[in-house]
Amino acid sequence: MTDLVTLTIDDRQVSVPKGTLVVDAAAKLGIEIPVFCSHPKLDPVACCRMCLVEISGPRGMMLQTACSVPVAQDMVVKTDTQQVKEVQEANLAFILLNHPLDCPICDKGGECPLQDQTMQFGPGLSQLVEPKRMKNKNYLISDTIVLDQERCVVCWRCIRYLEEWEDKPQLALFERGGKTIIDIQDGQPVDAKTSGNIIDMCPVGALTNRVARFSYRPWEIERTPSICTQCSMGCNLRMDTRTHKLRRVIGRENMDVNDQWICDKGRFANAWVNDEGRLTMPLVRKNGELTPAPWGEALALVAEKLQAIKQQHGADAIGGIGSAKLANESNYLLQRFMRQLIGTNNVDHRDGGDVAALPTGLPALADVMKPQYGPDPKHDVIMLVGIDPSEELPVLDLHLKRAVRRGKAKLVIVHPRQIELTRYDGPFLQANPGTETTLVNGLLRAVTDAKEETKSEAHKLTSGASDRQVDHLCGVKSAELRKAADVLAGAQNPLIIYGPMVARGQFGAALRQALTNMALYLGKPENLAYVGLEANSQGVRDMGVLPDRLPGQAALDDTMASELLGKLWSCSLPVHPGKSYKQMLDGAGDTVKALYVMGANPASERPAWADKLDKLDFLVVQELFLTETAAQADVVLPAVSWAEQDGTFTNLERRVQRAPKALGNPQSKAAPDWMILDHLASFFDAQWGHANAQAVTAEITKAAPNYAEMLWDALGDQGLQWSTVDNSYLLPEATYARAEQPDVPATEGSLALIGGTVLYDGGNLFALTTRMKDMSFGAMVHLNPADGETLGVDDGAEVTVRSDHGALKLAVKLDATVKPGAAWIPESLPGAPVGALLNGSAVTTVTIEK
Amino acid sequence: MMLSEPTRTEIKKWMDLYPAGRQRSAILPSLYVIQREFGYCPVDAQNELAAMLDLEPAEVGAVVDFYHMLHTEPKGEYHVEVCTNVPCMLRGAGQCMHAFEEKLGIHHGETSADDKYSLDHMECLGSCGTAPMVSVTERSSGQIRYFEELDSAEDVAKVLDLVNSGKAFHTLERWTPEGDPKLSGKAAGPYRIGGMEERFLTARVDKPDSHKIDTYIADGGYEDAKRVLTTMKPEEVVEQVKASGIRGRGGAGFPTGMKWGFLAPAMPRYLVVNADESEPGTFKDRIIMEYDPHQLIEGIILSAFAIKAEIAFIYIRGEYYFGYTRLVEAVKEATKKGFLGEKIFGTDTNLRIVVHRGAGAYECGEETALLSSLEGYRGHPRMKPPFPAVEGLYAKPTIVNNVESIANVTHVMRHGVEWYRTFGTEKSPGMRIFCLSGNVKYPGLYELPHATPLSDLLNKYGGGPQSDEHPFKAIVPGGLSMKMLTADQLDTPLDYEAVQAAGSLLGSAGVIAIDASQSMVKVARRTLSFYREESCGKCTPCREGTGWLEDILIRMEEGGGRVKDIDLLARITTFIAGKSFCPFGEASVWGLQSNLAKYRAEFEQYIALTNPENDLPVIPIRPIYRPDSGKPSVATDSSFDIAGESPLNRDTPVQALGD
Repeated sequence: MTDLVTLTIDDRQVSVPKGTLVVDAAAKLGIEIPVFCSHPKLDPVACCRMCLVEISGPRGMMLQTACSVPVAQDMVVKTDTQQVKEVQEANLAFILLNHPLDCPICDKGGECPLQDQTMQFGPGLSQLVEPKRMKNKNYLISDTIVLDQERCVVCWRCIRYLEEWEDKPQLALFERGGKTIIDIQDGQPVDAKTSGNIIDMCPVGALTNRVARFSYRPWEIERTPSICTQCSMGCNLRMDTRTHKLRRVIGRENMDVNDQWICDKGRFANAWVNDEGRLTMPLVRKNGELTPAPWGEALALVAEKLQAIKQQHGADAIGGIGSAKLANESNYLLQRFMRQLIGTNNVDHRDGGDVAALPTGLPALADVMKPQYGPDPKHDVIMLVGIDPSEELPVLDLHLKRAVRRGKAKLVIVHPRQIELTRYDGPFLQANPGTETTLVNGLLRAVTDAKEETKSEAHKLTSGASDRQVDHLCGVKSAELRKAADVLAGAQNPLIIYGPMVARGQFGAALRQALTNMALYLGKPENLAYVGLEANSQGVRDMGVLPDRLPGQAALDDTMASELLGKLWSCSLPVHPGKSYKQMLDGAGDTVKALYVMGANPASERPAWADKLDKLDFLVVQELFLTETAAQADVVLPAVSWAEQDGTFTNLERRVQRAPKALGNPQSKAAPDWMILDHLASFFDAQWGHANAQAVTAEITKAAPNYAEMLWDALGDQGLQWSTVDNSYLLPEATYARAEQPDVPATEGSLALIGGTVLYDGGNLFALTTRMKDMSFGAMVHLNPADGETLGVDDGAEVTVRSDHGALKLAVKLDATVKPGAAWIPESLPGAPVGALLNGSAVTTVTIEK
Repeated sequence: MMLSEPTRTEIKKWMDLYPAGRQRSAILPSLYVIQREFGYCPVDAQNELAAMLDLEPAEVGAVVDFYHMLHTEPKGEYHVEVCTNVPCMLRGAGQCMHAFEEKLGIHHGETSADDKYSLDHMECLGSCGTAPMVSVTERSSGQIRYFEELDSAEDVAKVLDLVNSGKAFHTLERWTPEGDPKLSGKAAGPYRIGGMEERFLTARVDKPDSHKIDTYIADGGYEDAKRVLTTMKPEEVVEQVKASGIRGRGGAGFPTGMKWGFLAPAMPRYLVVNADESEPGTFKDRIIMEYDPHQLIEGIILSAFAIKAEIAFIYIRGEYYFGYTRLVEAVKEATKKGFLGEKIFGTDTNLRIVVHRGAGAYECGEETALLSSLEGYRGHPRMKPPFPAVEGLYAKPTIVNNVESIANVTHVMRHGVEWYRTFGTEKSPGMRIFCLSGNVKYPGLYELPHATPLSDLLNKYGGGPQSDEHPFKAIVPGGLSMKMLTADQLDTPLDYEAVQAAGSLLGSAGVIAIDASQSMVKVARRTLSFYREESCGKCTPCREGTGWLEDILIRMEEGGGRVKDIDLLARITTFIAGKSFCPFGEASVWGLQSNLAKYRAEFEQYIALTNPENDLPVIPIRPIYRPDSGKPSVATDSSFDIAGESPLNRDTPVQALGD
């Protein structure tokens, strides 16, 4: 219970929590006090002076800034006196004095607080006869943000955002007095990953979106509340559309997910939605050429071929590949199609069955958030294992920075690269790739030492993992290990997050056990979370797009679940586990004769797979673009994007959120993913009869117990988190067991390969936002400068990186964040499929040849 | 790598000077080091400094841009800056500037072709008693020397001869033509000092070697510090200072002892001495620091002991280079004697003094802005509360006191509270160093008790009006920020209460006399040019308002004034004073407000004379900004082509008038 304070504003009483600012208390009464610098997500600075009102104090009623004065008991505030009105007029006159008033060509025009306040509080005429001051217009502060220094009213919101949230003060005030401007340091553009939020916060048209500008007027656009699908955060955003085009994306508040922030990829990198290269017609291979065909012909052919192959080779010769990038509805129908109409459990997605995941995701994002006015985060220690939020989940990165700087949380980081979050002085355990299990074992052992519980189960289980062993294998010094152990030993409510990079294959399984032991020992097994990186990494698992899991992540042998589904689908379900994503692709052309690929592009991941796909009897690809995989298909079915169809996505904390249709291209014959599958089913004599996506959503609530309440309407525009209490069958069984370190390839004379994803990758979709092309990672291998010296290669040198499985030609980038003895090649670089070097193994070594 | 190894080493030494984790404070001294190496602060060097201090490059760039003594482009080998602020203007700074322009063959704002000289206007440099004056900065060494009393073109020629001879920086002592007839580089010593029979604060300044510790000790110095530290408790010192009633000498007049009483109990605490004396018409602290620094250091020892601070910072304005070198030397001497450092005078008291140079920003005299600057940020004022006594430097309890206030502590502890209270009045006790400048015969520093009548200061000590033909017209009693008094208010006693009753404030006791020959329009214009230049830019009314006022006054001065501008000026000032973030708002307009109120007729006359038709100025046409579509226009009908040169036909900004 917070203390309430009662005060009087314009003769009306209001009670608000202690510490509330006068401006917010007034808002509670519906009294608007005009502001420019004040912002509910930033510390007060009281520099614009727009909110001066009369406030009672020891020396009587005095003009004070409502944005910086906290309420006090029996305070009296007057916002409507003659003096206040005069000051408001005068301040607006000052602000407009040198403002260019170029509203007709300003993007902000129509939704501009300066315009609104001028109409409401302004003087109505100008006394200025002097020439206006001139500054830079059309001035780039990054590839994506344009600054107009003339329009700027110097409210510092952008500066404060970058300082208080991003902890990267890349914008600052330059010059002084009347010449004061917001600027970057010469030659140092803003590169904070969430810099675009300053556009949303700017109260005038000083900061505009370079990707979107001049393409809309605010009064002409349609606004659709939606979510971002570029990573698994599920940040809430708004899509502004007009004439069948996506015009702009801005952040939308959801205090359980993203506060009101979105990252620059989510904001700017959406050009692919409007791209003219999108598929608009089904394509059928005729005489070796993909040729446009009507839907009926294409779907009939798919049905005919699949049935023939099933007849000839059995159902298990057919596989379905779903996508963690696509909605629950599409994925649900894909696995229903495979299980009900083909009759196989051969259904999976990338990083699906091949990854040692956990079923429930993060306990709650809100527990790591530190909002401007809100409690400290519930987790006091957050351990990140093989995940780099700065590159992989930028808004989580923002939450973590804030939790550390303002919420007293501590970070423990295990990563082969010195990731950006290591700058917060938390223990940083730079383990060699693949040795994480030993490291976590050693760490757990050190924690038991720190707690003086050397008789514990945990201590016994980690008997081999001495500090010396950790040093020897992982390359992590005892001092840093002990420092981390002390932090963990003192944790009240630790959270442990691991990502796909360390969860693959046998290495992942071992690490999951090691982390489970750690979480159990720390008393918080429920706080161990696997976090996938795609928009629907959680949902695609919940939908049962796994070879060994049904919807609701039920096991295949869960009779209750299979009975329920059998009844719902009027069929009997296949019982033996299917092939995983990797197994299907490895077996393509051999045990697998046909693949139905929805929203995945395995051909780009690994050259070997591209070859195997060619050996299939039949390949169907359901896609937005003619990807490498689609180009090899027999039938290509054109799908529409998340922006053009209704769908729900489940984010990394199990929050199911709506992404409604925001636009559609009337010229295109492309169809929603769920609808394609629904129609295809009819060619198998099944009448699923979903009238719309919401009907699929409704069916999911019946098929997956954890989605029981998740009807379209119930989700609202803030989404719902499925409960681990009501669905306790999904809580992982956490038991102590020995976690054995799998053999790590010897690095004698070679370098350990580090993968992992980066935000501005070279992927097909990102590349279409041409404004950002200079920001993306090139086809490069990052090496520690020390290794560069040993190998005699300089920045930019062309080298061949070779592993047992393949080779890539790349340019060298010397990068001190990479551990000596390692080479970093992020995934999805243009023309550099790191999969060529891995060939499915989680850990490998490479050599560098000049 | 742009920074040389010695430069890096020197920067690291500066970083070590500040408490652990506060290395950002070293940003200004480091930039001085960089400027000495390159002659300016190149962006690459700034970025390297940012890396050393663990900052974003923009944070360093923002600081460089704020302080006008830090340059982003190289200046000439000798940077000549002519003070043209009001006290100098009244005594012919314009002539002085013209003399330099003619001699050097360049306009102000320019650098000579041989890269030897740069010439600029400058705001008050704190030599109002010897106006007009210039400061010359030697690029290669970063040293600054003042050349004062440049009343004629011959004096200017002598200065340039001395600089050309290469001997100008053999000493940093102030140079005057009278004191250096043979151009030997030998200085004339301190100011014209006067006042009451026995002086205290200024008793020693004109003695030989007054800045040396030996002479100070010979005069009984440091005995009181030793006595107090060995025999008294800190609380007792606070009580004495409270009882003495010393009021702050920086301008606001807040009782020093009461300020000390507000200190929050947290440790560590800091004492910060405000030596950023920048108020035009004020030049008293400079003399104490240059010629009697040990008096100040003894005061610091006493004050720091009283408030239990173990580090004291002296924030001295960057232009006071000579004072800075004297302070650094004095701190060294005192440390060597064991008066500073660990266990001083054999007690358990520790005290370290860090002398920190500002870099040219009037706003840094405001105590919270000073703290921002000392922490290594732009000199923006901070929100109060929390007050510095609760959360000041590095968010720790901090006392910020003016140099003269601290010097008063020395004398209170030496002679006692009762003695101190025999000077001045009940509410304004003690003596005061009055800085007399402008149109009087003998400008200078006069140490007098509070409540000395203004007429005594002007006539008895100042020798009356500079020229017998021109009687006094207006008097600014407390530094340029304060409201003017008229010639019929000369009987006002110079104490806080009486000056306030007369409609102004005693401020920093910088008394500027303006005689009947001066144009009040020009005084107003030059005053506002100063405040426009020095506004920090943080809050709207001050940032926009001061520039607007200056623009109108420039227009008026140049013959474009309208009668209604007088009311417009007055109206604008009411929305700056009391509405801005810090007291700079009031400071910037009080002078103008009183000027308009008391000399309105002169403004009306000026307008009637210069703009009888009440014409409006011709406003330049704004250029048209087109969004850059990257494609040529598709309008191909040549009949629409604009013939000839039109201001509408270009995409670059038209230069604004007067900018």
